[in-house]
Amino acid sequence: MQRAALRGRCVWVLSAVFAALCLFGALLVTPALAVDEAGADASADKNGATQTSEIELSADNRAARFADGSFGITDFSRLNKGTNKTYEGEYFGYRFPMAGPDAFVALVLDETHVLIYLPSEQAERVLAPSDTGVSGGPSLPERFITLLEALDEAAASGGSTLAGFELQSADYRFVSEPFAEWQGYRYDFAREVEPGYFYATVTLPGSEDGSSGALFALSGRLVEASEVSLIETPHGLAAVAAFFSSLDARPFWVSLKTSAVAMLFVFVLGLAAAVWSNRISTRLKGVLDSIFTIPMVLPPTVCGFLLLVAFGNSTALGRWLTSHGIELVFSWPAAVLAAIVVSFPLMYRTARGAFEALDPALGDAARTLGWSERRIFLRLTMPLAWPSVAAGTVLAFARAMGEFGATLFVAGNYPGVTQTMPIAIYFQWMGGHPQVAAFWVVVVILISFVVILLINWYAARTQRYRRASVDELDTDKARAA
Amino acid sequence: MRRRGLLGALGRLLAASVMVFILAFALFGCGGKASQGAAEPPANEPAPPATEAPAAEAVTLQIFAANSLEKALPEVQALYTAAHPEVTFSDSQFKASGDLVEQLSAGAAADLLITASKGTMDTAVENGSVDEATRIDMFGNDLVVVRAVGSDIQVSSLEDVQSDAISRIAIGDAATVPAGAYANQALNSIGLYSSDTGKDGEYAAALVDKVVFADKVGTAANYVATGDCQIGFVYSSDIYRYDGIEAAFVTPADSHKAIIYPGAVIQGSANAAAAADFLSFCLTDADAQAVWSKYGFQVL
Repeated sequence: MQRAALRGRCVWVLSAVFAALCLFGALLVTPALAVDEAGADASADKNGATQTSEIELSADNRAARFADGSFGITDFSRLNKGTNKTYEGEYFGYRFPMAGPDAFVALVLDETHVLIYLPSEQAERVLAPSDTGVSGGPSLPERFITLLEALDEAAASGGSTLAGFELQSADYRFVSEPFAEWQGYRYDFAREVEPGYFYATVTLPGSEDGSSGALFALSGRLVEASEVSLIETPHGLAAVAAFFSSLDARPFWVSLKTSAVAMLFVFVLGLAAAVWSNRISTRLKGVLDSIFTIPMVLPPTVCGFLLLVAFGNSTALGRWLTSHGIELVFSWPAAVLAAIVVSFPLMYRTARGAFEALDPALGDAARTLGWSERRIFLRLTMPLAWPSVAAGTVLAFARAMGEFGATLFVAGNYPGVTQTMPIAIYFQWMGGHPQVAAFWVVVVILISFVVILLINWYAARTQRYRRASVDELDTDKARAA
Repeated sequence: MRRRGLLGALGRLLAASVMVFILAFALFGCGGKASQGAAEPPANEPAPPATEAPAAEAVTLQIFAANSLEKALPEVQALYTAAHPEVTFSDSQFKASGDLVEQLSAGAAADLLITASKGTMDTAVENGSVDEATRIDMFGNDLVVVRAVGSDIQVSSLEDVQSDAISRIAIGDAATVPAGAYANQALNSIGLYSSDTGKDGEYAAALVDKVVFADKVGTAANYVATGDCQIGFVYSSDIYRYDGIEAAFVTPADSHKAIIYPGAVIQGSANAAAAADFLSFCLTDADAQAVWSKYGFQVL
């Protein structure tokens, strides 16, 4: 009955902790998502403020249209750099890829000049009478520029933008013929450099580098609004779902697999070392104990360095091992090895402490009964030392899961192979994905919390058992008396 | 009774741990199929299904590339796999070029190396890590001073980086990060760094307490994006792969060595032919060109 109640309480505590941490995680993850949304809204507002008509942007920044249904832009891309590369030996100029032969391209020549090639048939096709400016509203070029600036701003990702240059209408020059000239540069549009691929080219006569003739380029296709398909930015639950569906869960499995395999080795090696060090002379024992324990006090990078020197290609020993088929560095076994090295002392020390705390008289008594050493270990020492050994195993497992320095040193950061959760946290943060890093932080906290809870729960259980058996002994004595 | 209770508990604990291990392995087997690392894949990894490659032999390429290529290169890899279904890519290593060269000399396995400076590739050639005959200059880039989006820090010349408004400047650790070396060369051009190679020098007194070193150029960009540093020296292409930073100043091209990304096939790569073909695809394919243009790499 008591045990069932205890178990029930544990389940409650665990679920409460889980719920709390999930909430914490959600709080960590959602602000980042919310900021994205707010940012998108703010930029939409900013664009909207200067417009009479609202602009709808696709989430991938590849398309946009006016909400009033007049026209839109599709297949848009912002080309931050061109290339001077020749095609089959022929030099075409500094070229930017265009969305197609019928696409428009805007070349930003400098901070006050934008040259826009808009094929006349394309402009006419989408040009409603009201858009020509005849009826007094803004003319097509003005509204086109508005849409272009909105797309440019969305796709710029921090680069300089048309809007940032604060250009006037007069700074834009429209051409419908596929060539133009400006300050000695010649610009050609929709040139089919290789079959099926069209470019806007910048050439400076007498030079093989036209790159100073344009800062960046924008290309896309002007179409009717009905032809534009927009990708919605996910909101609320959809955003959370999108976050999780794009999440790479492999670090979790790598961590679990690495620590689990490491634990198989550490359990056996730690116990063996603890038993063995208890049986040898005191002087040797001190030295051995230091050697077994030192990975616990050394910085993990020192362990990593030593492992890399031992198994890597840069030393004679490493090369000898490599030539004998032991290629360990930057592979999954190296991650396991690093986890073993750093978690071994925890297992060893707790096991040794437990064995030393046992009354040697118990073993002697067993020997007088003719028990073999093996039987003493399996039937007497282990059951008595088990609570500490179990706690040591769990601690060592947690340490293996948290291993970072040595693993990064000797196994590197190979996603899906050696990228464990701690390594993923560091690289996701530095790679500009704070939400993903926050997610793994929550997972690691959760696991650590459960580990500690398990140890405490198990320790409490064992003490209860011991207390109960002492009580039982007392009752027996009382009864005998 | 009590004893049996204890042993029973132990048994359950053991059974539970065994179950967890089995579950973990089963799930890993399902979830980890993308982890076919060319660098010594785990022994228990199942062989890739041979049914999908009737003609050409399936090849998995491992690429070591400069950190700044982290977003653009995977898109080009996807284009290549679409055109050549037999060639797939394990997750590329995007670190500081110096780290990659060091990792290769320590024995890491790879098929292709792309670094962000001629110097780091020279070291790889000297180490015998790459096949010099396959070496080719791939991309050009610019060095810019970035600030957080919306920051009011103004930088209109290199001299402005000493301004009192700036207390922290993110610069890649020049020992391994080429962007850091280029930044130091630019600072050397106005006398704020003592060595014209951009390495092994000292910063001028006005700067020395402000510089924060980053282990790769992306880290420098991230320091600025998070606001931990007011400005940072990164490539113009980094602006397009990180949210939250914008160009404050483009350093003059003559203030530092030309920023060139050389690529070369790794010496002794088992997939040398496929790696060389991918290298040439990067430079000649029109769709790949569109990706490089978008991310701000000038194909040479």
